[in-house]
Amino acid sequence: MDPISYFQAIVLGLLQGVSELFPISSLGHSVVLPRIFGWDIHQDDDYFLSFLVATHCATAIVLFFFFLKDWLQIFRGLGRSLRDRYIGEDDTYAKLGWLLVVGTIPAGLLGLLLEHPLRSLFASTETAAIFLFVNGLMLFGAEALRRRAPVRSEESIESDQIISRSLSFRNAIGIGTAQAVALIPGLSRSGASMGGGLLAGLSNEEAARFAFLLATPIIGAAGVLKLPELLGSQGDHVRGQALVGALCAAVTAYFSVKFLLRFFETNRLTPFAVYCCAVGAVLTVAFAVS
Amino acid sequence: MTKRPQLIVPAVIVGLIFCVIAGIYFIDDAGSLPSFFPGHEAGSTHVHFKHGLAAAVVAIACFVFAWFQTGGDRPERPTPT
Repeated sequence: MDPISYFQAIVLGLLQGVSELFPISSLGHSVVLPRIFGWDIHQDDDYFLSFLVATHCATAIVLFFFFLKDWLQIFRGLGRSLRDRYIGEDDTYAKLGWLLVVGTIPAGLLGLLLEHPLRSLFASTETAAIFLFVNGLMLFGAEALRRRAPVRSEESIESDQIISRSLSFRNAIGIGTAQAVALIPGLSRSGASMGGGLLAGLSNEEAARFAFLLATPIIGAAGVLKLPELLGSQGDHVRGQALVGALCAAVTAYFSVKFLLRFFETNRLTPFAVYCCAVGAVLTVAFAVS
Repeated sequence: MTKRPQLIVPAVIVGLIFCVIAGIYFIDDAGSLPSFFPGHEAGSTHVHFKHGLAAAVVAIACFVFAWFQTGGDRPERPTPT
């Protein structure tokens, strides 16, 4: 019998695409959802990790192509700055590129070194529910401590300019390090990076844009690093389901990023904070009682 | 960006050290690692590939940092005619 059915793959894929980009913790949801539905799926099972690899790769590919124009400009900017050995403050894409590099390094290092111990330590559904509640508090806190009121930027290019002018390399290191909280099921990577962006002086839209750009190399690298597991013996009996889950994740990731960029033009993180606190509190009590 | 040329040599040295550390992680298994290395586990045959990758990333970051410090304060741009 297959460890994950195609129906479960579709549900988990759709959920992964949404929750990876919404600031509500994809890992937390993928831990608590199987228990709510009574599915015999555990986040530490090899086949489930292989399944997640496929959905992560799909999300990263969607993000990359969604911001393809920006990425091409960023690659050119990185090349330009390496050639000149200088990162000009007025060179938007060179600065943005190096902000992304600097932000990715701490998250990548912490992910490489701490992923396994943290997952093992906080693998239970009970702790995931508690950290989902904590994630809500973190989002509330980021909105309360923000340095700028939410305003709408006029053009995408202008957003990139504002990001590159507003953020220092120190800010990028801070935001990148904050992303690592997502190693704990229940805490959201995009929530932490959006919150970090708000604290650094970005608007919600700019913070979301920077968070999505920052997410692409991290999610992509995590997926590529674990790809051999999906292609090896661990992926036996889940490859078909992983492909279906990846396609579902790709579709929902595309619509999620499209929706969120529009949503944050005029809205804040507060609705997601309320959702996380409510769901986290209800699940904590429910799991404790059951 | 403020240039600090005095940091070029230290950055290159640190980068080289991390290159060596990455190499050790890639080549040796956990049991053969020096005892002060994170991940050392007597008798283990597991290769800490991720630790090696992390060390390699730090090494590259050091070299890139040093590279930028070797440049001038601002590149000369061709004057428009």
